[in-house]
Amino acid sequence: MPDGLRDLLHDAAVLHSFVDFIGEYCKEQERSQTYIDASGLFFKYVEELTAGIKLELRNEVDRAARFPNRLPVLRRNMLTLKYYLRLLHTLIKPAADAHTLTIPGPLIDLAGKQLRGVKGMSSSKIVILLTPEFMYFQRPHTHVKEQARLVETFVPQATFPPKLGFIELPYSQGPSFFTNLAVYHEIGHFVYEELSSLNPPYPDFVALRSATTGSLSRIFRDRQVLALAVKIVQNWTQEIFCDLFAIRLLGPAFSFALVEILSMLGFLSSKLSVKFNPTHPASACRFAEHVNMLTADSWMEAIKDIKSEQKKLLEAFAMIPRSRYNFYLDDTTRGPQALVNAFLDSVIPAIRKLVHELTPESNFAVRRFGRVRHDIEECLKVGVVPIMQHSNSPDPVSLINSAFCFYLTSLPEVITNFEGPGADRDVDIYSKWTRRLEMWTMKAIEDSQIQDRYRRLKRTVSWSFQKKKS
Amino acid sequence: MTPMDLQDRAEYLSLALFAQKVVNALMDYADENKTAKLKPSLEEALDSLDSLLNAKRPSGTSRRRVAAFSSYEHLRTVEEVWTANQRVKAIRMMRLVLRAPRNPKTKAVANELIGLFSELQNQALWNFEQPKPVSPRIMQRLCQMV
Repeated sequence: MPDGLRDLLHDAAVLHSFVDFIGEYCKEQERSQTYIDASGLFFKYVEELTAGIKLELRNEVDRAARFPNRLPVLRRNMLTLKYYLRLLHTLIKPAADAHTLTIPGPLIDLAGKQLRGVKGMSSSKIVILLTPEFMYFQRPHTHVKEQARLVETFVPQATFPPKLGFIELPYSQGPSFFTNLAVYHEIGHFVYEELSSLNPPYPDFVALRSATTGSLSRIFRDRQVLALAVKIVQNWTQEIFCDLFAIRLLGPAFSFALVEILSMLGFLSSKLSVKFNPTHPASACRFAEHVNMLTADSWMEAIKDIKSEQKKLLEAFAMIPRSRYNFYLDDTTRGPQALVNAFLDSVIPAIRKLVHELTPESNFAVRRFGRVRHDIEECLKVGVVPIMQHSNSPDPVSLINSAFCFYLTSLPEVITNFEGPGADRDVDIYSKWTRRLEMWTMKAIEDSQIQDRYRRLKRTVSWSFQKKKS
Repeated sequence: MTPMDLQDRAEYLSLALFAQKVVNALMDYADENKTAKLKPSLEEALDSLDSLLNAKRPSGTSRRRVAAFSSYEHLRTVEEVWTANQRVKAIRMMRLVLRAPRNPKTKAVANELIGLFSELQNQALWNFEQPKPVSPRIMQRLCQMV
C-alpha cells in the first residue's frame, strides 16, 4: 500500500472511532435521562451525522485508492470534517448534562412557548446546555446551521433540525429561578440570528442594517476597517435588541435579574458601567434603554411603589448622561467615540422599532399584573404556592414579576414571621427562604401551564363532542 | 452574551467547508465527469467572489446574502491567501468551467481551481486552529478616528 494511502487510512480510522463514540454517547444519554424535546432532535441529528460520516469515510478511502493524486485534498477534507465535529463536540456534552433534573423546566417551557409566539419563530425550539462558565450564553447557531448545510452536501444522510437554538446556563444556576430569567436575553440572540439571516430578510432588519452601515460608511472608508466597525456595532445592536426583547416578553423582572447578574460579575462599578467594549455596550446605556422601554410600556408606573436597591440602581444608571460613555478597544486603547455616537443616534431607534414590530404589546400584561399582584403576594406571604382561581388566575408573567417584586421587598418579613425576629439577618436562613420562594414561583408557573393545557384539551374535547352530536 | 472567540473561529470553519464544497464538486467533474454539483457550487462561489470584488460595502448591507467572503474573517483569509490578480483569475476560470464543461481543456482549468480553493481551505483551517487578533494595521486605522 502506498504511504499516502496508509496515512489517509489512518486518518479515516481515527475519525471513525471519534464519530462512533459520539453517536453511541448520544444514544446512551437518551436512554438514561429525560430531556426536553429539542435536545432529542439535536441528539438525533448527531446520530444520523455520525452514521453518515462512517459511510462517507469508506467512499473517501475508495476514491483515494482510485485517484492517488487527490490524497492531500482528501486528507484536508477529513480534517475539515473533524473540525466541524470538534465544534459539535462542544455542544454535545453540555446538552447531555442539561436533562430535566438539572434545569428549571417550567421556566424553559414557558420561554419556549413565548418564543414560538414571536413573529416568524412559530416552530422554533431551544436546546439547553449547561456550561462551566459563570455566564449565560447563546451559542451562535447560524454558523452551526450554515456549516451543517455545507456538511450535508458531503453527508446527505443528516439534516440539521430547522430553527434550533442553543442556550447555555451556568451549571451552578441550573435549578435556580430568578437569575435564570436571563435566558430571555439569550433567546433574543437566537431570534435575532434566526430572523436576521432570512432570505429575503425582514424589512425591519433591512432598515436596521441600513441604519448601521449608512451611518458608519460616512465615517470609515477603508473596507476592512468598515467591516470591523460594522461588526462591533452589530455586537452592541444584538445586546440592546436582546435586552429589549426580553423586557417585552417578561417585564421588569428581567431588568432586576440582569442587575443581579451584572452586579455579581462586577460590571456595575462606576468606571465599567459607562464603558463600551468591542462586544458589549456600556451597562449604563443598556439600563437607560430598559427604563425607556419599561416607561413606554407603563411597567414603571405599575411598579412605582417598589423601593428596592435594584430599581434605584436601574434608574440611577439610566440617568447617566451619554457624554460620559466611552469606548475602549481593550483595557487601555481608546476607540473612536464616533462609533458610539453613530450607534446611539442612528442604530438604537431602529432597534426599538424592530423589537416593537416582533413582540406582542405589553399593555395586557401590565394590566393583568396590576390585577393579580396583590393576591399572589398574599399567597407568598403565608408561604404557599399562589393558588389558581378560575376567575382571576394569574398568568406566568404576572407570577414572575409579582414574585420578583416580593423577593426584593417583602422576603425579610416572611422570614421573620416563620423563623422569628432577627432570622432575616441570618444568611443561611435568608438563602433557604429565597430558594423556597423560587420553588413556589416555579411550581405556580408549572400549575398554570398544566391548567393551560387542560383548558386547551377541554376546548378540543368539547368541540369534538359537539361535532359528534351534530 | 455570545462567546466571541468561538464565533470568530466558526467563521473560519464555515469558509473551509465552503471551499471544500467547491473542491469536491470540481474533483467530481475533473476525475469522474460528474457535473451534478458543479453548477450550484461554482455559481455560489462566483456570486460570493463577485460581490467581494464589486461591492463597496461589507456584509449586511445588501438585501441579497452571499454564501462566503462577506465577514471580516472571510475577507481577511481571502486577502491572506489570494492576490487581487488571483481573485480575478478565479472568477474567470469559474466562468470558463461553467460555460464549457464538455471541453476537454476545461479539466485542466478545473484542476487549477482545485489548487486555488485548496489553498483557501488550508488557510481557513489554519486560522480556525490559530485564530489571530484583529490585524494591528486595521486596528490602528480604526483608532485614527479617535
